Amino acid sequence: MSDVVLKVNDLKAWFDDFNAVKGIDLEYKRNTINAIIGPSGCGKSTYIRCLNRIHEEVAGAKISGEVLLEGKNIYAPDADPVEVRKHIGMVFQKPNPFPAMSIFDNVVIGPRLWGERNKKNLEEIAYKSLQKAALWDEVKDKLHQEGTSLSGGQQQRLCLARTLATNPPIILMDEPTSALDPIAAAKVEDLMMELKDEYTVIVVTHNMQQAARVADYTSFFVLGELIEHGLSSDIFTNPKNQKTEDYITGRFG
Amino acid sequence: MVEMVSKDNIENNTSSPLKKRGISYKQQDKIAFMILRGFALAIVLLLGLMIYQLFQASAPAIKEFGFSFIYNDFWNPIEDEFGALPFIYGTLVTSLIAILIAAPVSIAIALFINEYLPKALGNLLGLFVELISAIPSIIFGLWGLYYLAPWVKDSLTPILKSTLGFLPLFSGPSFGIGILTASIILSIMIIPTITSVCREVFKVVPSLQKEAALALGATKFEAIKLAILKPSFSGVMGAVVLGLGRALGETMAVAMVIGNSAEISKSLFGAGATMASVMANEYAEADSEIHLSALCLIGLLLFVVTFFVNFFARSITWKAKMRGKKV
Amino acid sequence: MKLSPQRKFKNLLFKFLLTLASVSVLIPLILIFNFLLQKGSMALSLDFFLNEPKPVGELGGGMAHAIVGSLTMVGLSALISVPIGILCGVFLSEYRQGKIAAILKFTIDILTGIPSIVIGIFSYLIFVVTMKSFSAWAGAFALSIIILPIVTRTTEEILKLIPKHVREAGLALGLPKWKVILHIVLKGSKNSLITGVILAISRASGETAPLLFTAFGSMYFSDKLTEPMASLPVQIYNYAISPYDDWQRQAWAGAFTLILICLGLNISARLFFKRKELKKFFVRKS
Repeated sequence: MSDVVLKVNDLKAWFDDFNAVKGIDLEYKRNTINAIIGPSGCGKSTYIRCLNRIHEEVAGAKISGEVLLEGKNIYAPDADPVEVRKHIGMVFQKPNPFPAMSIFDNVVIGPRLWGERNKKNLEEIAYKSLQKAALWDEVKDKLHQEGTSLSGGQQQRLCLARTLATNPPIILMDEPTSALDPIAAAKVEDLMMELKDEYTVIVVTHNMQQAARVADYTSFFVLGELIEHGLSSDIFTNPKNQKTEDYITGRFG
Repeated sequence: MVEMVSKDNIENNTSSPLKKRGISYKQQDKIAFMILRGFALAIVLLLGLMIYQLFQASAPAIKEFGFSFIYNDFWNPIEDEFGALPFIYGTLVTSLIAILIAAPVSIAIALFINEYLPKALGNLLGLFVELISAIPSIIFGLWGLYYLAPWVKDSLTPILKSTLGFLPLFSGPSFGIGILTASIILSIMIIPTITSVCREVFKVVPSLQKEAALALGATKFEAIKLAILKPSFSGVMGAVVLGLGRALGETMAVAMVIGNSAEISKSLFGAGATMASVMANEYAEADSEIHLSALCLIGLLLFVVTFFVNFFARSITWKAKMRGKKV
Repeated sequence: MKLSPQRKFKNLLFKFLLTLASVSVLIPLILIFNFLLQKGSMALSLDFFLNEPKPVGELGGGMAHAIVGSLTMVGLSALISVPIGILCGVFLSEYRQGKIAAILKFTIDILTGIPSIVIGIFSYLIFVVTMKSFSAWAGAFALSIIILPIVTRTTEEILKLIPKHVREAGLALGLPKWKVILHIVLKGSKNSLITGVILAISRASGETAPLLFTAFGSMYFSDKLTEPMASLPVQIYNYAISPYDDWQRQAWAGAFTLILICLGLNISARLFFKRKELKKFFVRKS
């Protein structure tokens, strides 16, 4: 198996006539954490939303270029976006447990709707996913309460558990901690580090300290263009591009 | 790593990994969309069919009477002569009087709920007003026939006669049932509609201006007049016109208290009929083809009128709301 | 700053007038209830709920056949319109960009505004003319056209309350759109949808005009949908305008029953909604 799990070739994206992502080429290695940083409006959110074909659900969206998952283009004419999303999961900015649905049902909804009916298996999946999301101990006695009854940080970990239950090799996270308080955010950050053993994580963040702490690689975006990409240790200590340096030292953005 | 979920793994399917076997998800979604679109189109067609059927059924009457149907004032099923003017007149008069009564009352209630009452109490009053709209038309009719009509005859008429009796509007004897009673019932029935739309319109008026006016030392009345009523004028008009739309088509309550006579009475105490009430009264018993067709033509006219009234109302409230949101 | 007496007076007068209007709107509500309670409850009896009418001149009998008829036709119309209305609401909310959605929205707006008597004529032209007989089907069809736009609009508005990112989260799990709509969007709005449906049904149960010359009415129990069928509102109407005291008395009893049904449905729908909301609130607090 090749070391590169996801390869992006000349990816461009538009909202109607607005060109939000302007030709990105990147590679992501297996079992790494990859951060995307940049000033707001730099297209980092749109970019990550192209990686699991969710950008196209927005009215007026257009995309060109290639994204190769294990060498297969997810934008090939015969590729099914739903199938793509089974392999590339996503956690969103706002915690969004499904309404009027218990914690348990929230976690297992993916496998269940894919056809897993066996109650034992579903319970097993719920247990493992909640364990991995470090939520099991907090919710094991109230699995049948509504997911929306949890606190914000717990809700976000529930959303992570929900994604883990579908067991995608790649997990995208779009500013997963920006709606959380610092303590809850730190918990999610710790989780990312643990997930690295089994998953490849790509995370958009507005928080540079977070990127520096958790990410192996960091990409810096400005106005839809990739300015610099490399090992986080290099980017944050020895940036090659002036813009990057201005941004990480707080002079720009 | 333990495979927790059984799913098509990438490695399993070498030819085209991101493709589902069997009916693909794309196709599933396409089918779902087609089904929904099918129903949507069916509903659009249903409306088309309705318009077509009404035209078709009215055709003999249109052919026979042409435009004179609208301005002829005799309606004689025995002689098969039909002119709809008495019903058009009855519909307009009852609806206008209803609006004259209901509009100020509804606007007042909406202001009282939104601006004066504490939230819980306001919601309670709002609920009561909405309950009025949940009362079936037939019950208004029954109440109108056995309670309101005698009251109009015995209490309201003497008062009106002694004060405004010199007007032709209030001349002649009152039997209780008639145009006035029908108008009062209608006004009660459309209050919930106007009130709820007014409340929505008032809500989108930015409260900044009102607070500014209050801060400048205006009384609450002045602040409301300047900062709420003035900017929302067109929205309120929309609400009133929407109420008019409801009044025009109201059938049972009117049919039970208006007296059902195809005449144009100058006095509000006199009996009359509306476009809706004549359909309710005569349709089941009409035996000649031209009579049925004339009734269908009235239905078609009523349909067209309510369509334009509702359309007009909606476009002005919509504009008012958009403006409110922009500010 | 001191207010001039005139301004002060105007302010007070305004408040007084608003209060007066608000109180006066409650008067007819109270009067109607009082009227029905007095006349209606007195006329109620077990007989009323269990029997069909007796021949003219004989006292007694009831409206059982009309109650059953109403249930049948309202039930049938709900069976037709609730699924279609929800599907159309889903279309308006989930596929709102398309041209057809715009046309459907316009159509639904028109349907909402059509006077119910005109809908009655339409059903007459479609069913009664072709089948050459008044029928329960024609009545149910008319009622279903009345329910349909209500269900569609409430469904649309309710579904729009679910934020977009919740739908995206469903899609991101690798679920096809139709499963997201069915299992996440619709299921998540279940309580509000039930409320909307009950409100629509309560509206249909009180409709008279569209039944007058479709289902027409009958003095007997009828189990055939192709024949005329009695309904509570039409029966009330026929009795109310009849010259017989006993029938008028029964009309009041019928009206009392009808308003209990309509308001009962209406209020229970609201309570059902509120209770669930309340529970959610409670759980979150704890």
